[in-house]
Amino acid sequence: MTESFPILLLVMAAAAFLCRVAGFTLMRVIPVSARLEAALRATPLAVMAGIAALAVQAGGLAEAIALGAVVGLTLVLRSDVAAALLGVVIVAALRWLGL
Amino acid sequence: MSHAPFTFAGFRRGARDGVPLALSIFAYGLGFGLVAAQAGFGVTKAVATSAAIYSGSAQLAAVNLLQTGEATLLALFAAILVINARYLLFGAALQPWLWAAGPVRSYGSLLLLGDANWLLTMRRISEGEEDRAYLAGTGTPIALGWLSGTALGAAAVSILPRPEALGFDLMLACFAAAMMAAMTRRRADLVPVVVGAGAALVIARVIGPAAAVIGAGLAGGAVAAAMHRRAE
Repeated sequence: MTESFPILLLVMAAAAFLCRVAGFTLMRVIPVSARLEAALRATPLAVMAGIAALAVQAGGLAEAIALGAVVGLTLVLRSDVAAALLGVVIVAALRWLGL
Repeated sequence: MSHAPFTFAGFRRGARDGVPLALSIFAYGLGFGLVAAQAGFGVTKAVATSAAIYSGSAQLAAVNLLQTGEATLLALFAAILVINARYLLFGAALQPWLWAAGPVRSYGSLLLLGDANWLLTMRRISEGEEDRAYLAGTGTPIALGWLSGTALGAAAVSILPRPEALGFDLMLACFAAAMMAAMTRRRADLVPVVVGAGAALVIARVIGPAAAVIGAGLAGGAVAAAMHRRAE
């Protein structure tokens, strides 16, 4: 990555803006099918799972335990933010224990 | 063209409804600020990223890509496009209602569109909300929460020593796992989770981590589309 930060920012902003306005604009041309809707809803879920899986692959047992705990805590606490922050505490504790 | 109502009263109504959401978005912003600072972003860069992309999941993926060190501009663009593809749906769903406010007000309001205030606004529309300024109203406190949270989170990391010892390097993955768990509401939602995780691991081995995140999103979306057709 050699590009300067303002250029990165511009590219990222353009992609985000495109997503915000494209569906709105296309609506007058293309009807959204239920199948397309299912695909669009599944995409962020798959991306999040991918990021978590990559972290386990790059890390080890401590990371796997912490992320497993985050999933469980989210369902128990019903707060994803609290669960994520607790996950960080768990991995720090496991590393301190030498895992 | 006669415009639908777009008044300050509607904006204020939306802003009031947006405040409770803004508090939780502030906490997310704090999380993103911590992630960004951990990846070497200072406060200014972190806040600029939050303002430019204004989408938590897309920003997390972008930071993830930049951390791999092999991200290209195209990969960044594609990753955000794939993750924020759901905004196509959000925008399409809002179009019949919002367009009545005219192009400038419509597109201006879309800048403040996010997951939280889309849900809120769609619910109010179904309850008969007529004032098109409502959407921008809900988005304003949420945007302020997001930006101030990011600034505070990024500033906090710069005064903390050794992020690895505190587990901050896993913050991104923790947020991803938590959001994934929270978004999985039906058994069918487990399919994109499994497909996304599997695709990411395989693609990371074969091509590299930068492509893995995009590939996970595409694979999950494709499988969901294929399964939907079978269900019909």
